[in-house]
Amino acid sequence: MSARLTKRVGTPLLRWGIGLTLVAGVLLLSGCSAEATEEWKRLAMPEPGTKEAGQIFYFWRWSWVALLLVGVFVWGLMGWVAVRYRRRSEDETPVQTRYNLPLEILYTVAPVIIVIVFFANTVGLQHDLKELDPDPDHTIVVTAQQWSWTFNYPGNREADGSWSGEPGTDGKNVYEAGDASYIPTLVLPVGQTIQFELHSPDVIHSFWVTGFLYKEDVIPGRVNVFQVTPDRIGTYQGKCAELCGAYHSRMLFNVEVVSQDDYEAYLQQQIAKGKVSEEPLLGNQHATTQAGLENGESEEADQ
Amino acid sequence: MTATAAQPSTVGKARRPLGKELVRILTTTDHKLIGKLYLTTSVLWFMAGGIMALLMRSELAFPGNQIVSDEVYNQLFTMHGTIMLLLFATPLFFGFANAIMPLQIGAPDVAFPRLNMLSYWLYLFGGLITASGFLTPGGAASFGWFAYVPLSDGVASPGVGGDLWVMGLWMAGLGTILGAVNFVTTIICMRAPGMTMFRMPIFTWNTLVTSLLVLIIFPILAAALLALEADRQFGAHVFDPSHGGPILWQHLFWFFGHPEVYVIALPFFGIVTEVIPVFSRKPIFGYIGLVGATLLIGMLSVAVWAHHMFVTGAVDLDFFSGMSLLIAVPTGVKFFNWIGTMWGGSVSMDTPLLWTFGFLTTFLFGGLTGVILASPPLDFHVSDSYFVVAHFHYTVFGTVVFAMFSGFYFWWPKFTGKMLDERLGKIHFWLTFVGFHTTFLIQHWLGVEGMPRRYADYLPSDGFTTLNQISTIGAFVLAAAMLPFLYNVYKTARSAPMVDSDDPWGWGRSLEWATSCPPPRHNFHSLPRIRSESPAFDLHHPEIAAMELDEDSQLKEVER
Amino acid sequence: MKAEAWVFGATTAFFLLVSPIYWIATAYGGYLDGKGDWTGFTALAMTTLLCLMITVYLGFHARKMDARPEDSKDAEIADGAGELGFFPPYSWWPLWCSMCLGVMVFGVAVHAWWLFIIGAGFGVVALSGFVFEYYRGEHAH
Repeated sequence: MSARLTKRVGTPLLRWGIGLTLVAGVLLLSGCSAEATEEWKRLAMPEPGTKEAGQIFYFWRWSWVALLLVGVFVWGLMGWVAVRYRRRSEDETPVQTRYNLPLEILYTVAPVIIVIVFFANTVGLQHDLKELDPDPDHTIVVTAQQWSWTFNYPGNREADGSWSGEPGTDGKNVYEAGDASYIPTLVLPVGQTIQFELHSPDVIHSFWVTGFLYKEDVIPGRVNVFQVTPDRIGTYQGKCAELCGAYHSRMLFNVEVVSQDDYEAYLQQQIAKGKVSEEPLLGNQHATTQAGLENGESEEADQ
Repeated sequence: MTATAAQPSTVGKARRPLGKELVRILTTTDHKLIGKLYLTTSVLWFMAGGIMALLMRSELAFPGNQIVSDEVYNQLFTMHGTIMLLLFATPLFFGFANAIMPLQIGAPDVAFPRLNMLSYWLYLFGGLITASGFLTPGGAASFGWFAYVPLSDGVASPGVGGDLWVMGLWMAGLGTILGAVNFVTTIICMRAPGMTMFRMPIFTWNTLVTSLLVLIIFPILAAALLALEADRQFGAHVFDPSHGGPILWQHLFWFFGHPEVYVIALPFFGIVTEVIPVFSRKPIFGYIGLVGATLLIGMLSVAVWAHHMFVTGAVDLDFFSGMSLLIAVPTGVKFFNWIGTMWGGSVSMDTPLLWTFGFLTTFLFGGLTGVILASPPLDFHVSDSYFVVAHFHYTVFGTVVFAMFSGFYFWWPKFTGKMLDERLGKIHFWLTFVGFHTTFLIQHWLGVEGMPRRYADYLPSDGFTTLNQISTIGAFVLAAAMLPFLYNVYKTARSAPMVDSDDPWGWGRSLEWATSCPPPRHNFHSLPRIRSESPAFDLHHPEIAAMELDEDSQLKEVER
Repeated sequence: MKAEAWVFGATTAFFLLVSPIYWIATAYGGYLDGKGDWTGFTALAMTTLLCLMITVYLGFHARKMDARPEDSKDAEIADGAGELGFFPPYSWWPLWCSMCLGVMVFGVAVHAWWLFIIGAGFGVVALSGFVFEYYRGEHAH
């Protein structure tokens, strides 16, 4: 009974047929607008918005080429084996080969070589990504809190840790804070090194700007720091990428990369709205000074 | 005396009263029955976890909240993950190992039969306690199956559901540790004469390595869980953020969590390694290479845990990236050994082998996306996104579920004395295969586009809607795929004929195929002589074994 | 038993190699500000010790004992003839023990100390019953 069935069902041809139909179906269903075509060319990657993202995207593409070559090779072997060596008569007794040392050594060593090449490329790129310029053009202090974001523009840090110079009047901190009903926007000047300092007063969050092809966790008790250089004016999506409680899915933000002039104009707008504080707002003790709460307490509230 | 040809019976033995059956089950010390209990309970948890998945996928089909609130959604994915990994896949390993391993080494039972049963009860009761959070007003634990602190501490997640989760898993973990002790002792001390270590079936080898991994990692989980409970209940500050608590938890959890996914994978690699030779009519290719690869995978898996922590900025990226990439090598070796077994063989796509092909196809893709994730520059973008969700479903579902069904169809006659229906089995396979890939292939795209994991909702402007809908349709097809299987089990139990041979597949190799279907209480009335890794094959096909022995001795003549 | 000892020995050797490499990588790798990772190093070191303990135990016994029938390539089934061991035919005690532990665990989770104590009380009885099951009554010697 099983012999009859195996000829009809389960042939590699049928398998490939189903696979291809699925792919075609996906293609049809996802529509073919111009935007969609662009997305297809990048294989779903958002358009890179920083210098670093450009490098990551390049590495991504070539990694996929290499991996798919390996994949097609192994799938091909499987398909070959299923077709070429299928049972043709009930009493077939193949040679009982148990090993082949040269072949086994080959297919142990070859993957090691592939892995070494991949690793070498990885290490090079990740050192570049993680390297910190000792003098970034701008610093943004990000506070992630259940369940929105505060972006602080504190100007330049002095040797003693205090802030001075741009952006607010007298070097004060300019901020933009989101809440349950307001998705905040982070505004960045194009072409300049931006350093992000990530703070959380409560649980772990993760700062992900999809167009930067990069995220870093925001962990209470530690300050994570990273740098990027945005190189394309545009709007990007930001999302929290570490489960942080009930409204994790709603902890969104927008990012706008603009020209230097527009950036300065934006800061002036924020100052005009009164969104200025002495120190960057890091949550917890500064919760009483959030925009919208009018209790008149001083900004340096006791903890 | 006239003899009439006996009709093949459809019932094994006379039916006993229900009460007596219940007592037999409650007090059993028979590894075969304990294995069945593990297998049945695991599959029930699988279906429970599957229902949770359907609820989640239904919610994600459209932007906005339609089915569940955000908080309940969080409970669903937390419990889905917990159930699938710790109450389905891990106990499933214990089920197969219990049911098969002692038969494969020619032992009459495991080394500690009552401890074996104790392990099962600890699993059952621990699992029920873990999930009982759903019955509380605050709901089940909702902090994700990895329970990152501070989200899982008493301040951010004060409900008793979280405490039940922690303590229930502690108890189930204890059962797992005791079970592993049993397996290691059995394999070392209770093999039949002539069954040397390097003649054991690969499934048994994988059971040994998996049990060792369990002994290494579950005590750490147990300790971390108790420390978390101390923080939650007694005001301890083990995981306080002021002294690096969050990162400490992650190290402890992932030191357990990563080898755990190999605990889940290795036994099922073992099942596949048993199925392929039988349906290719050849011995396993590269036996020693496979043993080495299994050991290497086990060892390396303990040294890669922080690849789950690349985006924390708190771990050494080079060490973990290098180690993670290295694991791809022994896994690749296994793949080539499996293909090498079929090469030059007589391959027949019976249901067990069909499922195995499903595993090979699926797991390969999961392995490739794993290589991407092992590289931090690429991981920074796709970590914590649906790309990872797709990756682990490809690897875990691809391995555990496909190989589980392969094992079921293969060993059903050994467990029950009856063969499952082949036609229903093939329908079951194709529905599962199509349903699975429809659900999860597209999730790679979603993740890369920018959809984070554990999101209960998304914006219409995100552009995620269509892909989510396709995924949801796939999920329902996948759920429907269980129906032919359940019907098959029922139909077989009711009306399939009992098999009348030790080895209904005809080309079985390992020792379990040298005893009746099902085996007697202590497994063997008589054992065949063991001279290779395929003793049942040598027994049933002596002419082929003799041919090889001739060839071997001829070669030895030439060498001399 | 030599083969088993070697298997665990190879595992020990692997961890013996990897543990100090991990310390050096974290202390000098430039990702952790010059501080080694105590957590991972401790976990790896303890793993090394666990494997070493098993290796030593098996190796010691392998040296002391003659090859068992299952260690010998030419063994006949008859070589293993005789009593294999005692296998309890059935037992209620695993169920009682686990139920008591379940009550204790549940008691801790819901912060119900009275439940924990009750469970512990019955648990001591159940555990004693489990341990002494085949040393009492008709099995006493």
